[in-house]
Amino acid sequence: MTTPTQKKSRYGMVIDLDRCNGCGACMMACAVENNVPPAHREATDRTGITWLRVYRFNNGLKFPNNRSVFVPVPCQQCGRETPCVSVCPQQAVDVDPATGVVGQMPERCLGCRYCMAACPYHARYFNWWDAVWPPGMEKTLNPDVSTRMRGVVEKCNFCHGRLHAARERAAAAGRDTLQPGEYVPACVEACPARAIVFGDLNDETSEVARLARRPEAFRMLEQLGTEPKIYYLTRQSWVRKVSEDEVQMARKDQTHG
Amino acid sequence: MFPGIYGFHWSPGFLIFLGVFYSVLMVIGVTVGLAVWRAVKAFRSDLQETIRWKSDFQELSPQDRTCRHVWTGEFKQRVCENQFECWDCAEHARLTAKALPSDIRVEENFQATEDVFGLEVPLDRFYHRGHTWVKPENDGTVHVGLDDLGARMMPDPEVLDLPPVGAKLKVNGIGWFMKKSGVAIRVLAPISGEVVAAGGPEQGWFLKVKPEAGFNLRSLLHGNELRPWFLRELDRLQSALAVEGVGVSLADGGVPVRDLGATHPKADWQLVCDALFLRP
Amino acid sequence: MDRGYMVRGVTRSSFSKFLMWILPWTALLALGLYAAWLCFSRGLNQTHMDNRFAFGLWIFLDLTVIALGAGAFFTGFLVYILKKEELKAVINSAVVLGFVCYSGAVAVLMVDVGQPLRAWFTFWHPNVHSMLTEVTFCISCYLAVLFIEYLPIILKNRKLRQVPSFLVFEFELHKLMVVLAGVGTILSFFHQGSLGGLYGVLRGRPFAFREGLAIWPSTFFLFILSALAAGPCFILLTTWLVSKISRKRLVRPEVFSELGQISGILLIVYTLLKTVDTLVWINGTSPARGFPAYQYYQWKPFGTWILFAEIVLFGLLPAVILLSRRLRAHRGWLLTAAVLVCGGVALNRFVLTIQTLALPTLPFDRFLSYLPSWQETAAFLAIVAYGVLVYSFSFRYLNLFPQERELARP
Repeated sequence: MTTPTQKKSRYGMVIDLDRCNGCGACMMACAVENNVPPAHREATDRTGITWLRVYRFNNGLKFPNNRSVFVPVPCQQCGRETPCVSVCPQQAVDVDPATGVVGQMPERCLGCRYCMAACPYHARYFNWWDAVWPPGMEKTLNPDVSTRMRGVVEKCNFCHGRLHAARERAAAAGRDTLQPGEYVPACVEACPARAIVFGDLNDETSEVARLARRPEAFRMLEQLGTEPKIYYLTRQSWVRKVSEDEVQMARKDQTHG
Repeated sequence: MFPGIYGFHWSPGFLIFLGVFYSVLMVIGVTVGLAVWRAVKAFRSDLQETIRWKSDFQELSPQDRTCRHVWTGEFKQRVCENQFECWDCAEHARLTAKALPSDIRVEENFQATEDVFGLEVPLDRFYHRGHTWVKPENDGTVHVGLDDLGARMMPDPEVLDLPPVGAKLKVNGIGWFMKKSGVAIRVLAPISGEVVAAGGPEQGWFLKVKPEAGFNLRSLLHGNELRPWFLRELDRLQSALAVEGVGVSLADGGVPVRDLGATHPKADWQLVCDALFLRP
Repeated sequence: MDRGYMVRGVTRSSFSKFLMWILPWTALLALGLYAAWLCFSRGLNQTHMDNRFAFGLWIFLDLTVIALGAGAFFTGFLVYILKKEELKAVINSAVVLGFVCYSGAVAVLMVDVGQPLRAWFTFWHPNVHSMLTEVTFCISCYLAVLFIEYLPIILKNRKLRQVPSFLVFEFELHKLMVVLAGVGTILSFFHQGSLGGLYGVLRGRPFAFREGLAIWPSTFFLFILSALAAGPCFILLTTWLVSKISRKRLVRPEVFSELGQISGILLIVYTLLKTVDTLVWINGTSPARGFPAYQYYQWKPFGTWILFAEIVLFGLLPAVILLSRRLRAHRGWLLTAAVLVCGGVALNRFVLTIQTLALPTLPFDRFLSYLPSWQETAAFLAIVAYGVLVYSFSFRYLNLFPQERELARP
């Protein structure tokens, strides 16, 4: 439910790839914040749930010219013709007009996984197992975020539990708008290298809007025309080249953070 | 899906999509409903006999539906599409325009009996393709009985389930049932009318019927049609025996014995009887 | 022992022989049901699908059997609406095949989704912009139509028809069959198309994405055409197969030829349009989204041979065979062509479902492979077994081929 008095925002992220060292703190913070259960012992890198996933790829050259880069990939929050929204048969995916965040309603999800096939960024995850927390660990669950059942799809929603908490705090303080920095997803907060900047892209003065306008900024698969709200920054030309190049040479070797 | 439920918008997309969906559902529902309603109506107006015959008739093989005018040589090949109801068949009307009208009347001059390979076929009566005959009497009623081939299929039925006096018969509807050692025969009525007396094999007739007003015998076989028809029926019996795998077949040109079913296993005999009495 | 239940004038194998035939299929069905139960009770981790290969064998199966099942509506359309009387010889068989294909597809879909009990959500708050919504609505409606079309065939069973109310209802329902054939045609057009649209609209998957007319991508129309071409061929193949297995002549040879010709005409149109579509896609749609088409075919084993196979080997070749009166008259050629058409439609569905997901989209991603688990395979085979069983019982006790009786006469 959107608050009518709210100003329209367009939340987005800028991730500085030159700063990311692949430590994976963002992934951990994300999982803890959003009650992602510990992976089942049979889960693989293709069946586990990682709303935010750090990919690594290299330039394919031999030492000493070898270079690696880590790419954290959360849901790219596509802003135009969002591929996953139109395909869902039962409106379990929507874009919040007040925030621009692509929301997923696991409670309504049938588990057909059509949205997963539609997503070019592979940012959607299916619950292949029942969520099980080791004894005692359920006490660490975040009360602001509901857990999900087996057989439904979920994905990054920019920590909507935090958005609600921030709105409540603002309302308690008598304000109807959020101030910059009041609402920040867990990954942004956790990054030790401060590689992720989060904010309202509609706010011209915000840091995120400023960084997104930088010439080093790019978005993934921009030519698809989906207008993602996740920007990446890099000064390394070979990384830019890979991201824009037609022939993807570095595909052979990749691991996950 | 309905206005007011989360996610419903009064947008053209929704209206077109759901409009088409509900229309399709309605068409399906109405179609099935209509079929049920018409079925109930058919029951109410006692049409099930007529419908059964129409439906059974479609199930008969084209050979079983051969037009009677094929035997008398007017056609080389023709399959009846009119449920053997020759009275409203244009072809039949055309071909018999010159012949005498076959209204119900007593054929006093015919005392002859045709012999078809040992089958007795009296020529003073009118034959239905379900192996019954109609013999008009002087008092305006008719006798209905089984022809010789029909009688030999089940000579001494253990159970004879005749309609009670006063019952209405419907042409091509169920006339009566006969049962013997587990085999049941359903005999089709050759005429519409009211039953006035019940007989049995001993009397030589099964029912005495007061025909419905205006009923005519045009669809029944008569005269020189009978010999080719009975020959064909023997053929049909032969092939039914072969198809149903009974094993025993009639000797070439041989006279059928009095009780044809006596030597056959009853399950198979049931099928042969069904074939001969036009039950699919 | 069960001859009293069979159609008059035809012969079937002995009951013990029939038992021997259905026994292995029943066993296979039981195994598949066990696999499905595993998926229900333990979750879809029993499959080898994953977050990247979100669709697997089952979706491929669904798309293929629904394409093959198109023969039901198409034959109904030809018989009841275009009044092609000669195809009455196979209409009953086509209805049973259609029913088997659609009910099998729906059954496997119910296992495939993560929360089958939520299937009604689609009806409660449908997203009318989703192709899958259209597919769900149309398939459930059409399955109902197929069931209603199947009903008269069942009620005409020798024993069942002795119940007067069955007989009268069947009679009245049969008279309205033309309405159902019409509804079935409309529904089939839409969901066959929407199944194609399912992939054509994936703007995030340039391998599958196609431009189109109005709200429909080109795959919408290509799927309709290819299903129309495959349906008659599938009927032809099954009829021939049943004829071989039962050692009976079921239909006149002209019927085979007629089916082949109809299929050939549609197939040549399809092949033509598919070629145009492929060229537009290679030269326009795909590169415009940053994906030059040649790179799709650099991943082994999906080389360009797959394009060649789809268009020439499984498209043009059978079309030429089916359109040539001389070749068509030859049983061997006709059957080869029919196998190619059905194989071609399966290959096309395979390319769209499996290859689409196997190809990487992210620059640092790799080509993915997927092998179904035994549970997936068993459930797949169970649908085949289910189809064989339903068809076998129908063939034994119902009048699927009205011409058989005449052809059986000495």
